[in-house]
Amino acid sequence: MRLDTADPLAAFLLRSPLGAIVRWVAGVRASVHRKLLVAFLLVTLLVLVMGAVSVQTIRSMRQQSDLLDRAHQRVEWSQQIQHSLAMQMHFTAMALLVRDEATIASILRENNRFNDTLARVEEVAEDAERQTIQKIRSAQEEAMSVVADIANLVRDGKLGAATDLQITREDPLYRSIDALVYALVQKQNERMVALRESVDAANRRSITVLGAIALMSVLLALGSGFVISCVFIFPVYAAQDFLSELASGKFGGTVSVPNRDEFGELAARLSETSRELARLDAEQRRAADAVSSVNAKLEQASKAKSEFLANMSHELRTPLNAILGFTEMLRDELYGEVPPEFKEPLADIQTNGKHLLHLINEVLDLSKIEAGHMELMLEEYSAPGIVDAVRASLRSLAAEKGLEFSAEVEPGLPMMYGDAKRLTQCLLNLAGNALKFTRQGRVAINAARDGEFVRYSVSDTGIGIPEEQIGTVFAEFRQVDATITREFGGTGLGLTITKKFVEMHGGRIWAESRLGKGSTFHFVIPLRVAGAPAA
Amino acid sequence: MSPKTILYVEDNEYNRKIVRQLLSKTAYRLREAIDGENGIQTALADPPDLILMDIQLPKMSGLEATRKLRADSRTAAVPIIVITSFALGGDDQKAKDAGATAYLAKPYSPRDLLAKIREILPEG
Repeated sequence: MRLDTADPLAAFLLRSPLGAIVRWVAGVRASVHRKLLVAFLLVTLLVLVMGAVSVQTIRSMRQQSDLLDRAHQRVEWSQQIQHSLAMQMHFTAMALLVRDEATIASILRENNRFNDTLARVEEVAEDAERQTIQKIRSAQEEAMSVVADIANLVRDGKLGAATDLQITREDPLYRSIDALVYALVQKQNERMVALRESVDAANRRSITVLGAIALMSVLLALGSGFVISCVFIFPVYAAQDFLSELASGKFGGTVSVPNRDEFGELAARLSETSRELARLDAEQRRAADAVSSVNAKLEQASKAKSEFLANMSHELRTPLNAILGFTEMLRDELYGEVPPEFKEPLADIQTNGKHLLHLINEVLDLSKIEAGHMELMLEEYSAPGIVDAVRASLRSLAAEKGLEFSAEVEPGLPMMYGDAKRLTQCLLNLAGNALKFTRQGRVAINAARDGEFVRYSVSDTGIGIPEEQIGTVFAEFRQVDATITREFGGTGLGLTITKKFVEMHGGRIWAESRLGKGSTFHFVIPLRVAGAPAA
Repeated sequence: MSPKTILYVEDNEYNRKIVRQLLSKTAYRLREAIDGENGIQTALADPPDLILMDIQLPKMSGLEATRKLRADSRTAAVPIIVITSFALGGDDQKAKDAGATAYLAKPYSPRDLLAKIREILPEG
């Protein structure tokens, strides 16, 4: 797995239990599609849980805040009660001084307010507070009856008695009520402080829980992302490694991945492909071995063939040497005068002997060329030298047939590099053919420079070649028809050998002809064959 | 002046006969050998004035025999005409490399052979 080496963090994570999860998820028999869907669903669920927890937290905080508000309210009410009590005391004292009904009414009004507020506090009070409130209420009722007495005394003008009553009864009563109310206020304040602390704690708890859940969600989402990506990346890496192995020519291995999804399928197909490649490779190797053993046999056979040909050539030439030797000596009258009637048969023996030699030479040349044993003997030569040699050897034949025979060479041709003997043989073949197939008219040889080549042309006014056969004149044993062979002779190998020699020089040969009008054969030879030393 | 001797090394009886008859009308004296080893023995025993050596011989090839004769002081200076076989590519070069003075392709014309002999070894 290349991920291990490529990414140290991934390698570390894979050694943790996360690695086991990766392998487990890979091994789950489900499609890639489903696996991805489940991973996304997991993340979506986490988001939903986060949302729910947040809503819950907000709600709880609002509840706490309500509680705090109510505590505030109670504290306020308690303070209101304290205030109303103070006002009552104030108005009672004032009633003694100003002695009017309005002030007395104010006492009653404050008393009512005191009672109302006390009732509200009582409604939401705890049991311990309720006792205090009961005490306040009974003390207040007593105080109110004392106040009523005082009020009556004031109305009756008995101010001294009223003042006494106020000092001896009402004032201590109010003081005790005040003390009770003070305690109540204290109590409410304490409750509020306690509540505030608990609300703060609850809020802190909520935020901690929310943060923890958020952190877990992020970790889970990252984890599931890592797991799912590893599950998909491993087989891709494995396939990559495997394919580069294949590309380097190692067939037959298998790619193993824990996945039992599309990637698992893909790996199985890759392994199958590799096995198939290995099979084909082995087959191909067997075939190549077979071919090379056949080749070795062929090479052996070909070697045997050329040895056979070399021996045959010698074996054929030895008696032919004797035949031609004795004939020549007879005709040269080495054995005495030849009777006139023997002269023609002796000439026929010599002609046919030479023809047989020519045939043997051509067959051997072609065999050697085709076996790849023919090698050019490269040397410096001149084109005029070749043309002169051909003209010299064919002049008498042309004269015998009464044909016009010309040879022209462009002046100023440079020295050339190639196998002069073989090129002479080529030009001799073409010119010899031209003379052979021309009954009357002329045969012309021409050599001229053509770029980096010299072009040799041989034109005649002979029988010509039918258009449809002009492409095959260079094939082996091709003559236009069998009657031509009878009339003009020849093996039909000359043009084939000529073409091979021209091509061995890196040249080209072609023919133009009109049936009954004549033919022109051209071949071009590079001034210097490939591999020649610089001129 | 004694007649000049020519040694012809050739296994074929008819070819030997041609040269025998060809030289019978000249002042040359012919000696014959029928294989490479026989040719060397004959040449070393009494070095001739010229040797005609066929290239393909029993027991030892003409090229091998030519090399051996060239290596021996008794025959190192004797001209050798090697009769090559046209079929074996590069025979001319091989003959030259072995130390041949001249070479002639088989089948040769007796007339040409005689001309070559006279060119190298004047009849005297």
